Amino acid sequence: MIHMRNVRKVYDTGVVALDGVNVDIKKGEFVFVVGASGAGKSTFIKMLFREELPTSGELLVNGHDVVNMERSEVPYLRRGLGVIFQDYRLLPDKTVFENVAFAMQVIEAPRRTMQRSVNAVLEVVGLRDKYRSFPSQLSGGEQQRVAIARAIVNSPAIVIADEPTGNLDPETSWDIMDIFHRINQAGTTIVMATHDKHIVDTMQRRVIAIEGGHIVRDEARGVYGYEA
Amino acid sequence: MKLRTSEYFLQEVFHSLKRNNWMTFASVGTVAVSLFVLGVFLILVLNMNRMAGMLESQVQISVYLEDKLEDSDHKKIKSEIENMQGIESVKFVSRDDAKDKLAERLGDQKYLLEALGDKNPLPDAFEVTVHQPELVETAAAAIAQIKGVEEAKYGQDVVEHLFDITRLMRVFGLALMVLLAGATLFIISNTIRLTVFARRKEIAIMKYVGATDWFIRWPFIIEGIVMGCFGGLLAALALRSFYAAMAAKIYSTLAFFPLMPQYPFMNYVTVGIILAGMAIGAGGSAISLKRFLKV
Repeated sequence: MIHMRNVRKVYDTGVVALDGVNVDIKKGEFVFVVGASGAGKSTFIKMLFREELPTSGELLVNGHDVVNMERSEVPYLRRGLGVIFQDYRLLPDKTVFENVAFAMQVIEAPRRTMQRSVNAVLEVVGLRDKYRSFPSQLSGGEQQRVAIARAIVNSPAIVIADEPTGNLDPETSWDIMDIFHRINQAGTTIVMATHDKHIVDTMQRRVIAIEGGHIVRDEARGVYGYEA
Repeated sequence: MKLRTSEYFLQEVFHSLKRNNWMTFASVGTVAVSLFVLGVFLILVLNMNRMAGMLESQVQISVYLEDKLEDSDHKKIKSEIENMQGIESVKFVSRDDAKDKLAERLGDQKYLLEALGDKNPLPDAFEVTVHQPELVETAAAAIAQIKGVEEAKYGQDVVEHLFDITRLMRVFGLALMVLLAGATLFIISNTIRLTVFARRKEIAIMKYVGATDWFIRWPFIIEGIVMGCFGGLLAALALRSFYAAMAAKIYSTLAFFPLMPQYPFMNYVTVGIILAGMAIGAGGSAISLKRFLKV
């Protein structure tokens, strides 16, 4: 699903964000990416949906050669991915339903399936009854659930989440993790960058730890390993 | 493009035009003013071209004779012209007839001639008509070679002057057009930039969920085209009333002036101006997208 060989990323400023990174993630895995701020975690995540391009090395995501692809192919890479951010990134002037449907609209999905698909994913995240609300009327946890619904509405093979619980209290965070767990159970690969020691230690999933641009640990059933 | 998608685009365009209403107004206004000025030049140049063409095709040649020729010389010259190819008629106009005609034409200003007293500075002449306008130039040249002929004129001076003026107006109009088009492009691209800015969050999300570059660009391009189209429409309406007023004025004072008939001429101008507006609008947003929309 995801294949990295000797990936190196140097920013224009000369900062080496990642160096000599080798990772293979298989279909259906649930992977935590941990590390301190500035360790290269964000760069790692951003390269997966080609927000950043590796300076050198090999990177395959969901069958796409990210390094050598044409610009015009990037949208098709992203259609196979669902991306979730710490700050939700919902459109304030659209309702919950419209925010989720938007993801289908812009890839010109057929209208017939839109209603059904949006309702289905809102069911998954437990917001079926709030479909007419606007983001400002929702709690942080609810907003993140809308963002998750939007990320999965086009049935991506991989869900990529960058600190999805970073702005949420512990209890709400667990609701979000429960949704991720269910999505993963249905066969979707999940890659999640996080700072949350408690979540990582409790979930007991694969952990990739990044420090100073290198992978320092990659364990199948790992723990956070730092004092948060 | 799918129906659902075009619906979405139109919605976006409508919202955006409303959101930036002041800039939209300024853009449409600038397009309208620029295209109106452009249209005025177009109308003037086309009309002058037409007038020059019509004068050129007038088939009459004035043949002025040298002084002190005998009647027999006149007859000789007359038959020589008549024997040329393509000549329709040759009519003698004596210098006295010519003076009477001139007096008639001067009307109230007849006193100008009276100043000459008994003297008559006008030459004897023939008025020659030819079968086809294309023959005028060669016939005039040939007649000018005949012994006893001073000059053979067919209004080429007037035509050449007209063409000079038309050429000048064309150059001036073109320069003005480039300037105005530049200003219009700038205003439109600025408006589109505001739209891009207002929608940057939406654009980012569109990119993350896999919208193609063109899907993201289209609403902006349509927005530019819509603004250009409205501007063109306003300019065209103004031009139509301008031309109608001009025609009414000219027909009441200079009835012989060969003005282009309003229809279908103004319909072509209308369509042309609106298309030009749309092109400027599309161009303006293309500039903006290139500079500000990193899709």
